[in-house]
Amino acid sequence: MGAARGAGRARDSQVTSMQSSVNWALLGLVIERPSYAYELAQRFDRAYEGALSLSSTSHVYTALGTLTSRGLVEEVAGSRTGRQPKPRYRATAKGLEDYREWLVGQLAEDRRRQRLFVLQLAALTRDPEAALATLDRYEKACLQEAGETPLNGANDVQADEVSGLAARLLCEESRLAIGAKLEWTQYARAQLKSLASARAQGR
Amino acid sequence: MTLLALEHVGKRYVDGPHGRPLLNDVSLELTPGEVAAVWGLRRSGRSTLLRVAAGIERPDTGVVRFDGRDLIDHGEDVLGEGIGYVQKALRGAEAQSVLEEVMVCLLARGISRAAAHARACTALERTGSAQCAALAPRQLDKAESVRVALARALVLSPRVLIVDEPVNGVDLHERDGILLLLRSVADEGVAVLASTGQSTGLAGADRALALSDGELRGSLSPELAPVLALRRSA
Repeated sequence: MGAARGAGRARDSQVTSMQSSVNWALLGLVIERPSYAYELAQRFDRAYEGALSLSSTSHVYTALGTLTSRGLVEEVAGSRTGRQPKPRYRATAKGLEDYREWLVGQLAEDRRRQRLFVLQLAALTRDPEAALATLDRYEKACLQEAGETPLNGANDVQADEVSGLAARLLCEESRLAIGAKLEWTQYARAQLKSLASARAQGR
Repeated sequence: MTLLALEHVGKRYVDGPHGRPLLNDVSLELTPGEVAAVWGLRRSGRSTLLRVAAGIERPDTGVVRFDGRDLIDHGEDVLGEGIGYVQKALRGAEAQSVLEEVMVCLLARGISRAAAHARACTALERTGSAQCAALAPRQLDKAESVRVALARALVLSPRVLIVDEPVNGVDLHERDGILLLLRSVADEGVAVLASTGQSTGLAGADRALALSDGELRGSLSPELAPVLALRRSA
């Protein structure tokens, strides 16, 4: 039991030790479909446009080296043929498992980011009016993003089934996440207003 | 060009000794071809805002103008052809079919039965509810009843369409179809103002607004096109 827990911790630390979002994104693409390096660079640009970027095409070779050394991807046997060999990579079972674990771990990452934001906003509560003004600007940014979120079916020209599904899931996730932020601003405003009122009465 | 304008509108809810401010100095401008969506929590006053904007309820203070005319004086003339208002629930007479339900407002305006029939069929087709024509309103599911209610408003070719909670209770798979329908109505030059209790209903709007504590937040007038400096040739 203790050994199993220890092994789990060891694996957890290995999973978290790979910090590069680009590496995880490339692993995701390899899981979706085995590819060779140049093809992966092209797929990366299409799939993650606006969210992540490669410093150069050679970034993919470095990342594949890291993923291979960690046992997350492997060359497809027999793919290194021809005069200009282009080895194709596929995910290992460990790669798939670690990727799933990392994905779930992103929830904690989201919470960490939101916690940081709230703590940083709390730093402004010495002056509740200033905090309320900041909250108004935050709410306005949320509203703008909520409106800009595309509707499913509005731009249904997707390269394939997977990217279509990814677009729909992303769309819904963005809408729900922004909705939660909007509801939170209502609560935060009420709290800040009562703080401002209590301070005004105390004066 | 502003089609509908709310100027410093105030409205108090009259339950209890003092009443509760629902709308507090609310201003909003709507132009043809845009979708503005108002989100608010329960009892935030979003339905009241829409009724005031449609001229159905009078504001306690402030002015609502449609095409420059004060709705307090002209509200009844404007409702229908000028401003189409779609309330939360489709209320139809039990004996009537959906087609008759859509025709009735045309017949009431003295339009012949044949012309009313043709226009109602077009409106039902336009909103994707032609297959419901022969059904009774009570036989419709939520998404169908929203589409039929939209047909009933659109059959009069309004210039402003005000829709209370178009996606409330609508199946998730149908929700975006209805929002896309509102978008396409706006693309034909109609100004659309919709309310939503679910923030997901804000997606695709040109302007997403929030109503809380009687205050409307967000971009309250249409964004001006960026002014580009003219480059003079040397």
